[in-house]
Amino acid sequence: MNTQDRCAEVREWLPDHVSARLDAERDRLVREHTEVCAECRAELELIGLLRESRPKAPAELADRVARAALGRRRPVRRPWWGLSAAAVAAVALGIGIASNEGRVTTTLQDDLAAEFEEGEFWVSDDGLLAGAPTLEELTDDELAALLDELVAESPGGQG
Amino acid sequence: MSEDRRDDAEGPDARLVERARAGDEAALTALVRRHSGVAFGVALSMTRDEDIAQDVVQDAFIKAFGALDGFRGDASFKSWLLTITANEARGALRKSRRRRETALADAPELVASGDDPAEAAVTASEAERARSRLAELPEKQRLSVALRVDEGLSFREIGEIIGSSEGAARVNYFHGIRRLRELMG
Repeated sequence: MNTQDRCAEVREWLPDHVSARLDAERDRLVREHTEVCAECRAELELIGLLRESRPKAPAELADRVARAALGRRRPVRRPWWGLSAAAVAAVALGIGIASNEGRVTTTLQDDLAAEFEEGEFWVSDDGLLAGAPTLEELTDDELAALLDELVAESPGGQG
Repeated sequence: MSEDRRDDAEGPDARLVERARAGDEAALTALVRRHSGVAFGVALSMTRDEDIAQDVVQDAFIKAFGALDGFRGDASFKSWLLTITANEARGALRKSRRRRETALADAPELVASGDDPAEAAVTASEAERARSRLAELPEKQRLSVALRVDEGLSFREIGEIIGSSEGAARVNYFHGIRRLRELMG
């Protein structure tokens, strides 16, 4: 290989040489060539300087980005009436199943209490359950009656 | 050698992407930890403003994760993410009206102190000067040099990010290096 070809080859490898990403054989060729070629040695020095001053991301950046990106996917804390229609249906169906075993009230209260406390509700994509804010006015007994109706109307329900 | 085939304890990118698509938050976090540094390098090379660069990285990840279902895997995840990052950086520059000249005028002048006897300090000074001169290059040359030297990307990957062919990325890199040598005197 003539000197010009070797220069072209070595110059391609210089960034990987300074960052120790080059395999041993090529690394040796770079070292040997830059000892005898002033042009490539000067380029190696410049790339070494650039490598030394490469920007470093702030330490907290990854955490900040991860929080922001995951925030879009996590459940949002909402007032209890922000419960999605799907979640209401799921809870109601659960009650339906449990009611066959005679544990309606306990299961309802336990499930709701636990989920409300943890705020683990996914807001539905198409907004809140229609008319949900009016549920705020209902007593526990009225709410239980409403959920019974939902169970009765659901496929496979009791109604 | 600079292909994106990382395979550490969390597995290769392709596997993480697959898990992320299924809603695995640990996989999403791993992708952020793995690539936020290089994304920051790209954003900073383009915006030359650390605060804007951080915002750009955040927006790029949010956008990438939002579009993950549409990611076909023709390019590596890293190239795809960095392309989004570069586009976000361009958008951020337009929004903030920070043209290249303004950013350069705002940039602190990095000059060797001259009275520092330590050789290491002189080298550091020269390194900062080289970085400062790099900022004076046209965008494609600047990005080609930064992505090749700082991040070890291949010319094919660089081409995808700057919107050029692999050959054009190579030419931009070598022109950039030649120009830098002239600027460094």
